[in-house]
Amino acid sequence: MKKRLTEKQDLSEITESQNSISDNTVSEEKSKLIELRGVSKSFDGETVLDSIDLYITGKEFITLLGPSGCGKTTTLRIIGGFEFPDVGDVFFDGVRINDIPPHKRQVNTVFQKYALFPHLNVYDNIAFGLRIAKISENEIKERVSEMLALVNLRGFEKRNVNLLSGGQQQRVAIARALINKPKVLLLDEPLGALDLKLRKDMQVELKNIQTKTGITFIYVTHDQEEALSMSDTVVVMANGKIQQIGSPTDIYNEPVNAFVADFIGESNIIDGVMLADYKVKFAGHVFECLDKGFEKNEQIDVVVRPEDVDVVAVDKGMLTGTVSSVTFKGVHYEIIVDINGFKWMIQTTDYVAPEAKIGLFIEPDAIHIMKKSEYSDMFGDYSSFSEELEHLSDITEDVEE
Amino acid sequence: MKRFSKIYTALILVFLFAPIAVLIFFSFNSGSSTSSFSGFSVRWYVELFRNAEILNALKNSLILAVTSSLIATVIGTAAAFGIHHMRNKHLRRSIMSVTNVPMMNPEIITGISLMFLFVFVGSFLGLSTKLNFWTMLIAHITFNLPYVILNVLPKFKQMDKSLPEAALDLGCTPIQSFFKVQLPAILPGVLTGMIMAFTMSLDDFVISYFTSGVDFQTLPVLIYSMTKKSVKPTIYALSSIIFVLIFLLLLLSNREKSTYERLEVKRLKAEKRRKEAILRAQKAGKTIKPQKEHIPTDTPRAPKKNSSFLTKIIAVTCAIAVIISLCVMIGVYSKNTITLNVYNWGEYISDGSEGSLNVNRAFEKYCRSEFGMNVKVNYVTYTSNEDLYAKLSTDAVSYDIIIPSDYMIARLASEGLLAELNFDNIPNYESCISENFRGLYYDPENKYSVPYTYGMIGVIYNANVVSEEDTGSWDLMWNSKYSGDIVQFNNARDAFGTAFYKLGLDVNTSDVSEWRAGLEELKKQKPLLDKYVMDEIYNMMESGEAAIGAYYAGDYLTMLDNQADNVDLQFYYPENTNLFIDAMCIPASAQNKDLAEKYINFMLSEEVAIANAEYICYASPHSVVYNSEVYREDMGEDVIEILYPKDFDFHAAYDANCYKDLDAQTKKLLNSLWEELKIS
Amino acid sequence: MTGKKVISESRRRQTQKRGWLQRYAAMPHVVWAVLFIIAPLIFVAYYAFTDADGAFTLANVSSFFTEKYLSIFFRSLKLALIATAICLLLGYPIAYFISRSKPKTQKILILLLMLPMWMNFLIRTYAIMVLIQDTGIINSFLGNFGIGPIHILGTESAVVIGMVYDYLPFMILPIYSVMAKLDNRLIEAAADLGCNGFAVLRKVILPLSLSGVISGVTMVLVPSISTFYISQKLGGVDTLMIGDVIEQQYAASNYNMTASLSLVLMVILLVGLAIVNRYSDSESDGGMMP
Repeated sequence: MKKRLTEKQDLSEITESQNSISDNTVSEEKSKLIELRGVSKSFDGETVLDSIDLYITGKEFITLLGPSGCGKTTTLRIIGGFEFPDVGDVFFDGVRINDIPPHKRQVNTVFQKYALFPHLNVYDNIAFGLRIAKISENEIKERVSEMLALVNLRGFEKRNVNLLSGGQQQRVAIARALINKPKVLLLDEPLGALDLKLRKDMQVELKNIQTKTGITFIYVTHDQEEALSMSDTVVVMANGKIQQIGSPTDIYNEPVNAFVADFIGESNIIDGVMLADYKVKFAGHVFECLDKGFEKNEQIDVVVRPEDVDVVAVDKGMLTGTVSSVTFKGVHYEIIVDINGFKWMIQTTDYVAPEAKIGLFIEPDAIHIMKKSEYSDMFGDYSSFSEELEHLSDITEDVEE
Repeated sequence: MKRFSKIYTALILVFLFAPIAVLIFFSFNSGSSTSSFSGFSVRWYVELFRNAEILNALKNSLILAVTSSLIATVIGTAAAFGIHHMRNKHLRRSIMSVTNVPMMNPEIITGISLMFLFVFVGSFLGLSTKLNFWTMLIAHITFNLPYVILNVLPKFKQMDKSLPEAALDLGCTPIQSFFKVQLPAILPGVLTGMIMAFTMSLDDFVISYFTSGVDFQTLPVLIYSMTKKSVKPTIYALSSIIFVLIFLLLLLSNREKSTYERLEVKRLKAEKRRKEAILRAQKAGKTIKPQKEHIPTDTPRAPKKNSSFLTKIIAVTCAIAVIISLCVMIGVYSKNTITLNVYNWGEYISDGSEGSLNVNRAFEKYCRSEFGMNVKVNYVTYTSNEDLYAKLSTDAVSYDIIIPSDYMIARLASEGLLAELNFDNIPNYESCISENFRGLYYDPENKYSVPYTYGMIGVIYNANVVSEEDTGSWDLMWNSKYSGDIVQFNNARDAFGTAFYKLGLDVNTSDVSEWRAGLEELKKQKPLLDKYVMDEIYNMMESGEAAIGAYYAGDYLTMLDNQADNVDLQFYYPENTNLFIDAMCIPASAQNKDLAEKYINFMLSEEVAIANAEYICYASPHSVVYNSEVYREDMGEDVIEILYPKDFDFHAAYDANCYKDLDAQTKKLLNSLWEELKIS
Repeated sequence: MTGKKVISESRRRQTQKRGWLQRYAAMPHVVWAVLFIIAPLIFVAYYAFTDADGAFTLANVSSFFTEKYLSIFFRSLKLALIATAICLLLGYPIAYFISRSKPKTQKILILLLMLPMWMNFLIRTYAIMVLIQDTGIINSFLGNFGIGPIHILGTESAVVIGMVYDYLPFMILPIYSVMAKLDNRLIEAAADLGCNGFAVLRKVILPLSLSGVISGVTMVLVPSISTFYISQKLGGVDTLMIGDVIEQQYAASNYNMTASLSLVLMVILLVGLAIVNRYSDSESDGGMMP
C-alpha cells in the first residue's frame, strides 16, 4: 500500500503534452496511462461494449459521452475494476491490470450519487482512504484540510454528510477521491443529480480542480453541453462502440457520422451527392464546400448547423422555403423552414414571420460532408421531436425561463 | 372524523392495556389472590427476589435469549449479505422460502419437528440426555434467524449500491469494505433484528416447551407450569418489572432517534425556505445571481456524539451480557459440580417462599458440609404422571429423582425404568415409614420407592352456591341444579374414577362394558360441566368461577387460604374415593444414584419432612411428622382431621380404591373412550 | 438514437464479479436451514407414516380425515377465522389512522401497540382469564349495575377474545407498515379525480395495502389455528382445538399420531398460504416486518 502511494506522488514526473491524443490510430506511445485494447463486454448475452480501443494520456480531462446504454459507464467501471472485460485487455502504465481488484488500482472514483459513507462525518469520509492506507493521523489532518480548501468546504469537518446539500456532498466525494492522489480520477455522471445552476457552477469548479491538480479526469456524461465545455478530449459512444474521439471543436465541427452530428448540438442532416472535390449537391442545389477526397457521385450525408444558415431575401437565397414555426429563444429565434418537404432548423437573430417565404444562404465552410454510415437516415428533419426526449425536456425548461 | 379516529385508537389501546393494567395492579395485592384485591403491599416483589426457582428460570431465559439472538444475528447478517449478492434467482427464492418456514409454520409444529430431530439424533448417538440447553439453543437460533434476515435484507437493498464499491475504490479489501462501510450502513437493521430475536427468544413458550430438557428451564416454561395452578402474584410482579424496564428502554431509544429526526426536519425546512425564496425572486422577475452554496448558520449539527453514545451503550450492554452468559454457561457446565436432577410435581416441595425452609438449598449445604461435595439441585416440575412418563420413556432427559404416583410406579417398574434402591443409603426409611405404607401393590417388595405423600380425593364445593342437602356423595357432581358450575378432572383416569365410584364399580376393572358404562355416565355429566381441569381448579374454585369439583384434600386446604371474599369452600369425602400415594423413585437411567439416595434420606429427616408436609398440605406417610407436636400445632386440628380422618383403615381403603396400572388393552380402551368423550 | 438498450441497475448488480465473501456468506445459514428446518420436517413425515414399531402405515395420517378429528379441525378453523376477521376489522382502521397521523404520534402509537407484546403471552392470556371470569373484574363491575354475571370463560367466545387480544398487534403492524409507505398524494389524486371517501378506500388504499393485509392475516391465522394454550386457559368443555389434540398426543407419548396430525395441519396451512400468497408479490418481503 505504501508503495502504491509513493508511486502516486511521482505523478508530476509524468509530463506529457496534454493534447497528445487527437488521432486514435497513433499506436505505441510511451505516454499512454490507460489503454483498452479490443475490450468487449456483454451482460446476459447483450453486448454492451463491442471491441473498444481507447487510450488515455496523463493530465487530461477526457469525457465519455453518449446516450444511456451506450457503454460509457461500463467502460468507466472496467477502468475502475468493478467490471471485468469478457474479451480484451486493460493496461495501466503499460501493465496489464485485467484481474487487479479495485482496491489495488491507482484510480479513484466519484460515484453517481456520491456514495458518501452515511455513518461518517465529512472529515472521516475524506480521511477514509488514508486511514485504510494507515497514514499517520497528523498527515491525514494536514491533507484533509488541504482537500477541504481545494473543494471550498473549510469548516465543514464535523458535519454529518447526510445533512449536506447535493453540491456539498459532491465536493466531499471529490475530496475523498482526490486525497488519495490517484493518477486517474473517474467521475460517473457526478453532476446528474444537481439542479441546472449548480451544475454550471460545478462544471467550472471541476475543471479548475483538474487544472490545479493535474490529475487525469475521466468523466462520463450524457450531457453534450457539459462534455463540450469541460473536456480536452471527448469520446462519443453509441451502441457499445466508439463513434469519434476528438477535441470538442473537432467533434462539433467535423462529426464523423450522422449519429455524432445529431447527438452533439443541433444539426440539419441532409442526403447529398458529392459531385466532385469541393462540390456537393443537396436539396436540389449545388453548393461549394471545403471537403474533398470522396469518390465522384458518392452518396454522402451533409451536416449544416442551424446557426450557420443565413436568412436572406427569397431572390438572394440558394434555397427557398416556407417558415412553418418560429420560437423565441432569447438570444435568437429558432425557426423551422420547410424546403421541399424537408424541415430545416435555423437559428437567426432577425425576426421572421411564420408562413413567410424566405431564402437561405450557406457559406462553404458551414457545410460538413460525412460518409454514409449505419446511422444515416435515422436522423431526419425537424418535422417532429418525438424521438428526442432529452431535447424536448431542455426546451420546456427553456420556455419557462 | 378526526375525533372518531382518536376515540377509536384510544379504545383499542384500552383493550390492549387493560389486562396489563389489572396485572400490574394485582402485583401489589397484599393477598395472594389474582382476582380480589385485599390491600396494597410490595410483598410479592420481596417474595420474587427470594424465589430461587423464578430467578433461576429468569437467568436461564436471559442466557438463552442473549446467546441465541447474538448467534442468529451473526449467521443471519452473513446470510442476508450472501442472499443479497446471490445471482441465481431461483436459488435465492428457494432459500428465502426455507428461511421463512419457521415463521410461517405454526410454532407447535416447529417445536415438535425439532424435538423429533433431537430425540432421534440423540438416541442414534446414544446420548443419555437428548434435550438440554444446547437443543434449546439450536431451536431458538432456528426461529430467530428469519427475523434477523428479514430485517437485514431490506437494509442491503436500500443501501446505495455504490457504497461497497466506493470502499473498494478507496483501498479497502472486500472484508474491510464489509466491516467498515456496509455493516455500519445496515446496522439499524441488524440491531432491530437482534432486538426482535432477543424478544422472541425471551418470550417463546411453545417451541421451548417441546425442546426443553430437565437441566434448563426457561421462564415461560416455568410460567406455563405455574399457570396450570392459580398464579401467585409473584409472577405478576416479575412481569410488571420486565414491562416497566422495556417501556423505559423503548422510550429512551425513541427519544434518542427523534432528536436526530427533529434536526433533519429543520434542515429540510431551511432548504425549502431557500428554494421558495429563489422562486419568489424569479417570479418577481429579478435576476438571481447563481446561488453560491450558502449554508445557513442554523443548519443542525448532527447529534453524532449522542448517537454514537447510544451505540456504545448497546455495544457495551451486549458485551457484558455475552460475558455474563458465557461465565454462567461455563459455570454450569464445566465446574466439578454434580448436578442432581429432581423432577417433581409443581409446588410439591418446600421452596423457601414465605419463610419456609428451602429444601433444595438446604440439601446443597448439607452435602457441602457433610461430604464436601459441590452439589447443585436442579429442580424441574411436571404437571401429570403421563407427562413424566412421556419424558422418561423416550429418555429424552435423564433425572435422578422422580416422584410419581402409585400406578405410575407400577408401570415404570414393570417396564424396567426404575432402579432398585440401596436402603443402606437411606437409613431413615426404617425408622419413619410405618407398616401401613409398606408392601403396597405397586411395590410389593419395597424395592423401588419411598413414600412421599398420600391423600384422598374429595369433593370441594362453594357453600354460597351449593345447598347443604345436596352434598355428601358423588351425585353432587351430576346435579343438574348446578349446571355450568361443575368442573371435572381433565385426566382420563381420574374422570372415569369419579364415575366408577359413583356407580360403585371397580376402578381397576378390565371389563369393557363397565368402562362403557363409565363413559355413558361421563357423557351425561358433560353438558353440566364448566370445564375439564387439572390444576386450573385452584383458580376456578377460589374465584368462584366454578362451584363444585373433585380434588385432593391437601389442595382444598390451599384453596381455602386463597378463596375470594364471596366464596365459602367446603369439603367432604364421598362414600368411595380414590387414595393415592406419591413416592420417591430413582429412574434406571439416573446419573447420580448414590447422591439421589442421599437426597431421599435427607427428605426423610425430621425437619425437612415437616417443612415439606407443612408446605404441601398433603398427608405425610412419615410417622415422625404425624406425631410431631409442632406439625399438628402449625396445621391446626381441623386440618389434621381432614388430612388424617379418624377411625380410617388406610390399608384396606387403599387396597379397595387405589388406581392400579391397567393392562395395555384397557389403557388403550380408556384413551379412546376419553377421546370419544372429549370430542363428542 | 435507436437501439437504445438500457441495462437496468439490478441486472448490472447481478453481473458484478462476486468475491468469496459474497459467495459463501449465506453458507452457514443454508447449512443451518437444511439441518434444523428441513431435516426436522422430514422426521415429522417419517413418524407420520410409520407406526410404533417403525413399519410403514397410512393409518395415522388417514385418521385425521375421520369425523372426530375433522370436526376439531373445522372448529379450530372457524375460531381462528373469526378471530382473524375481528382482528382485521379492528386493526385495519387503526393502522390507517396511525399511518395518517403526525410522524411523532405515529412513533408513539406504534410503540404503544408493540409494548404489550413484551409481556409474556402466557401471562397476558392468564390476565384475560382473570378479567373475564364470572367473578372477574368485568363481571363484578357489571354486577354493580345489576347486570350479569355474563358467563364468557369456557366458551368459544372466550377463546376468540383471547386470540384477538394476543394477536391483534400482529395484524396492525404489517398493515401499518405498508400504509405508512403509501404516498398521501395518491389519496389526494384519487379524491381529485372524483372519488369520495369510500371510493378512495376501495379503489386506492385497499388495493395498495393488500400485501400488508395478507401478511397480517397470515400472522394472526396461523398461531390462532394451532394454539393450545389459549383454548386450554380460556376454553371450556367444547372448545378443544387441533393444537390441543396435538399437544395431548405428545403428552401421551403417542409420537406417530403427534407427527401425523402436525403434518396434515402443516400441509393444509402451507397450501392455503401458498394460494393466498399468489395474490401478493412473492419476491417482496415488505409488510412482513413492522
